Amino acid sequence: MFDSIIDPTVSQANPTEYDRLVLAARPESLSGLRLGLLANTKRNAEQFLDEVGQLLAGQHGMQVVLAMKKPDITSTAPELTLAELSAECDVVVIGVGDCGSCSASAVADGILLEQAGTPSAVIVTEAFTVSADAMAELRGAPRYRYVTVPHPVANLTPDGVRSRAAQARSAIVGLLTEPAMAVSA
Amino acid sequence: MTAPVTGPVEQAKAAIEYCYAQGWTDGLPVVPATSADIEACLATTDADGAEVIGSVPHLGRSVTVAQAAANAIMAGCQPDYFPIVLAAWQAVRQERASRGAWQSTSGPAPLIVVNGPVRARLGINSRGGVFGPGFRANMTIPRAIGLIVRNGFGVRPQQLEQATQGLPGRWSICLGENEEMSPWPPLSVVGGVPAGSDAVSAMLIRTCEYVDNRSTDSAEAVLHDFADSLARIGAYVGGPHSSGGLVLGPEHAQLLGNAGYSRSDVQQWLFEHAVRSRAEMIAAGKGEHTGPAEDGTAEDGDQPFALMPAAADIPILVAGAANAAMSMVFRPFGWAAWSGKSVPVAYRTSAEKVH
Repeated sequence: MFDSIIDPTVSQANPTEYDRLVLAARPESLSGLRLGLLANTKRNAEQFLDEVGQLLAGQHGMQVVLAMKKPDITSTAPELTLAELSAECDVVVIGVGDCGSCSASAVADGILLEQAGTPSAVIVTEAFTVSADAMAELRGAPRYRYVTVPHPVANLTPDGVRSRAAQARSAIVGLLTEPAMAVSA
Repeated sequence: MTAPVTGPVEQAKAAIEYCYAQGWTDGLPVVPATSADIEACLATTDADGAEVIGSVPHLGRSVTVAQAAANAIMAGCQPDYFPIVLAAWQAVRQERASRGAWQSTSGPAPLIVVNGPVRARLGINSRGGVFGPGFRANMTIPRAIGLIVRNGFGVRPQQLEQATQGLPGRWSICLGENEEMSPWPPLSVVGGVPAGSDAVSAMLIRTCEYVDNRSTDSAEAVLHDFADSLARIGAYVGGPHSSGGLVLGPEHAQLLGNAGYSRSDVQQWLFEHAVRSRAEMIAAGKGEHTGPAEDGTAEDGDQPFALMPAAADIPILVAGAANAAMSMVFRPFGWAAWSGKSVPVAYRTSAEKVH
């Protein structure tokens, strides 16, 4: 009856249709593997990932080989940054998604690294799961899993960051090593 | 009893409900757009319908001119508003703050300012009740921008849009500048467009707050009142400074103009006076970026901290009626108040157009 009404969501520019995500193969253990960290510019993001790096190095025998920071919280990391992470690292931890746009773009970074064959774990605060899920669905990964931590992270003291990172450690390890955990059934 | 969908009114209502059911509306009814409407919009511009006028790479979405036209019609625009919608869209897009704005927790709103003769031609209000509602062009042009973001980019509240509270008037703030009662050149001249031509300027703002001062004929007293609002600590989000601008009511503007103040004089005065002591910033838990020491000790607690980024970064325009001395402070989103670039309105120049 209303076929003549124009659908305002459809662009003649053919919006990108993303392929369904196939996750990167997971290593059985993290021991001896090279770890990459991809931080955004949110307060405490680098500190949080640094703590995660120390925990994974100390408790899982990993080596932090790259710690990068992307310049723009809204967009995905530059192609070169992602390529370098994928080339130099066996697994990558990304974060911290604790704002409206950066939670979604952190998930997009994680998905891009998975597509490049690098297992990744994205950290998102509990306040932004809807935004993270919306991005995952858009990118062809409707059941994509990430690590949630209590919100907020930006106002934590150094001790607070340390304990928040410690709380997240086992979930991060799980996402990086157990394929069944990375995409929920 | 439900009336059968037979008569034209019932059909119109059913079409509106259909648009709701598709998730295409911002909560208010939309005007269903047809291909004839799109053609009517495209007839006002040289732009091709397929031209891409915005994309969000990380969302994989692009917006075309034709898509903008559909959303403009849905917002209630008449086709001859379309060149203003396109200019407003460009003006918003060129603001650096717009890149992350649509998904941001701060949920900012475009503040769209129209200069030039088009105000009279399209009935764009620049006088009484300028913040609306009541004037079709003022209400529907910014709404079109909102629908383009929603439908074109797919950014919807509580999904990819994560506004914590948003603000009253999001997608409905479009002002004609009251050039006729302003003592200074139009904002669009500051923005690089010659006086007398149609232009659109845009900023993204987080709120507006009124300054009601009918108590004095002293220009400096009124400036003090503005500076106090501009220096409100709550609007400061950390980092190098806050941001602020003024929509002056004509009475305040003329008081300042008659006292010999140019626009840049006003900006300079406000920049110098919109300050807080470091102690005040620290007391509010916001001392981190205000100076070298964190503890608010007596030695440095009295040092002033300038809330405004720079004199030139306090945008000032004039709008409203000359019936009471009140003005509005507005709060640009992010640390860059305004790019300082206005967008000339482009109209159709040729009779023939190749699609």
